[in-house]
Amino acid sequence: MLEDVGLVDIVVGPPVDTFGGAPGEQNARAFDVYGYAFLARKPS
Amino acid sequence: MDPDRLRSEVRDKYRDVAAHPHAEHHFHTGRPLAARLGYPPEVVDPLPDAAVESFAGVGNPFSLRTLRPGESVVDIGSGAGFDSFVAATMVGATGRVTGVDMTPEMLAKSRANARALGLRNVEFREGLAEQLPVGTAEADVVISNGVINLCADKRAVFDEVVRVLRPGGILQFADIANGRPVPEGALRDIDLWTG
Repeated sequence: MLEDVGLVDIVVGPPVDTFGGAPGEQNARAFDVYGYAFLARKPS
Repeated sequence: MDPDRLRSEVRDKYRDVAAHPHAEHHFHTGRPLAARLGYPPEVVDPLPDAAVESFAGVGNPFSLRTLRPGESVVDIGSGAGFDSFVAATMVGATGRVTGVDMTPEMLAKSRANARALGLRNVEFREGLAEQLPVGTAEADVVISNGVINLCADKRAVFDEVVRVLRPGGILQFADIANGRPVPEGALRDIDLWTG
């Protein structure tokens, strides 16, 4: 979707176990959910 | 998913996080979460508890790029202001941070925190991610943390990001992504969207 809106130079960081040990961990594990950092640039 | 219902449920959830940050939520909050997500202690430790306790991000939007002095930043879904305050420290007195949030309780908390911190380069505006109260091409950088996944119309959010960014501007955000497909029935489960 980032590309669809015209953003470029897209970088995705490594996964972070955002929900590990939290009450929502079970749902997160069920769908393999992790947190990620994203970086993108609007063309000049 | 009905966007209005989802927005109402999300607002209720984060109203609760603003009022009761130490209650049990389905996600981590506050200083332990900031440490878990890799925010440097030297950035987090000086902030007062009220500015950190309702932090409920899912990653670190500054991990792939730090902000530069003088940059104009928009924080989508700024909550109680934690990432906006981190951003304000990075951009310095010549920069500016505009936090946008739809939850009145979070806005009240972020504004009180900004006053307590004496920050003059941060302001918080009420608004939606899909209709940012920010002018076209005003932002050097847009940040967000754990918010876009809660929006039913993600394309509308990213279209707004592109509108408010100046040419050459940067989007740096953190959010969750699922590695396994979510069944159709689960996609309509409001509890899975909000917790």
